[in-house]
Amino acid sequence: MKVLAFLATIPIEGPDERAAAIPSAQAGDLAAFEALMRRHERLVLVTALRLVGNMADAQDVSQEVFLRLYRNLDKVEEARNLPGWLYRVTVNASHDVLRKRPAADPMEYAAHVPASGLDPQQSTAEAERRRVLEMSLRLLSEKERAALVLRDLEGLSTEEVARVLGSSEATVRSQISKARVKVKGFVERYFRRRT
Amino acid sequence: MNCTHWEERIALYAGGDLPAAEAAEVERHLGDCPGCQLFASGLKESLQLLQGIHQDPIALAHFAAVRARVMAELEGSLQPWWRKAWMYGLAVAVAAALFLMLALRPAAPVHPKRMAVQVLLPQVDVAPPEPVVPRVIKAHGVRRPRVRPPAVVPRAPGPPIVVKLLTDDPDVVIYWITDNSGE
Repeated sequence: MKVLAFLATIPIEGPDERAAAIPSAQAGDLAAFEALMRRHERLVLVTALRLVGNMADAQDVSQEVFLRLYRNLDKVEEARNLPGWLYRVTVNASHDVLRKRPAADPMEYAAHVPASGLDPQQSTAEAERRRVLEMSLRLLSEKERAALVLRDLEGLSTEEVARVLGSSEATVRSQISKARVKVKGFVERYFRRRT
Repeated sequence: MNCTHWEERIALYAGGDLPAAEAAEVERHLGDCPGCQLFASGLKESLQLLQGIHQDPIALAHFAAVRARVMAELEGSLQPWWRKAWMYGLAVAVAAALFLMLALRPAAPVHPKRMAVQVLLPQVDVAPPEPVVPRVIKAHGVRRPRVRPPAVVPRAPGPPIVVKLLTDDPDVVIYWITDNSGE
């Protein structure tokens, strides 16, 4: 019953309504803009979280991205172009935050992911998994991290990643392969040390 | 076998990023090289681990917080200029009115305390004035007698003069007492 009640609260939108949200928002309809934001908030916040490493900065990045979206709504011609635009702006805004941040600032997003319903042992295991993700991403350079997050975590194609990052596909492939090898090395070292 | 030059291609193969022809080539190599098989399986495992963690849900409150911040910013910036001007105008008008009220407030008149003065003179016997003797003008050549001024005799100090000042307050009476020596 709870699931049904939850599903009932989710607004059901067809492709027409999705397409109509952009012109309405362009016309100054804040409710339409909020609907647009709800539709893409996960994309922006989670990508930012993986790139900057903590929830507070990720929220700042998300706020900046959506404000830029509002100011540039006229440049978004079609709804299907919007995710690519959002990824690009999220990556740029995240890099801005990382450049402003002191190098020693720890990345501590693990604490913000809820692990409710787990017993203490499971919670510890979950926290450890998140720590592995956090630390392995920290090993990567800014560009390698962006390429890996977009390709392997967000599931974009190499071509889409290249478009978002403004690089060639060959460069992106090189960044992705280096990032995967680094992450593998870290994960293996981490768990070998733990056992 | 030194397979360092295969690493990049195996890493791309593990994520499905190689064109079919290159992928087939890598598969052939993996069939012959146990070391590279281990390397490839390690890559796939670490990737699966990262992807699994990435799918963990994030508390809805974090999304709601971002939405609220954005909407507040937009609503603030979209407020019509006349509403902002009205608010600023009102603030300025209130400040000006307060200033004028303070500046133009009439000064409160200072009412001096009214005091009744009552001089309490002692009873002194006053001698009657001496009669004025008319001067006689004599003829020329007649010596005019020199009149000496009367010697100044120190007067004995009289009784003190008491001035009683009555104020509005019946409980406050001021007495001013001075001696009568003239000094």
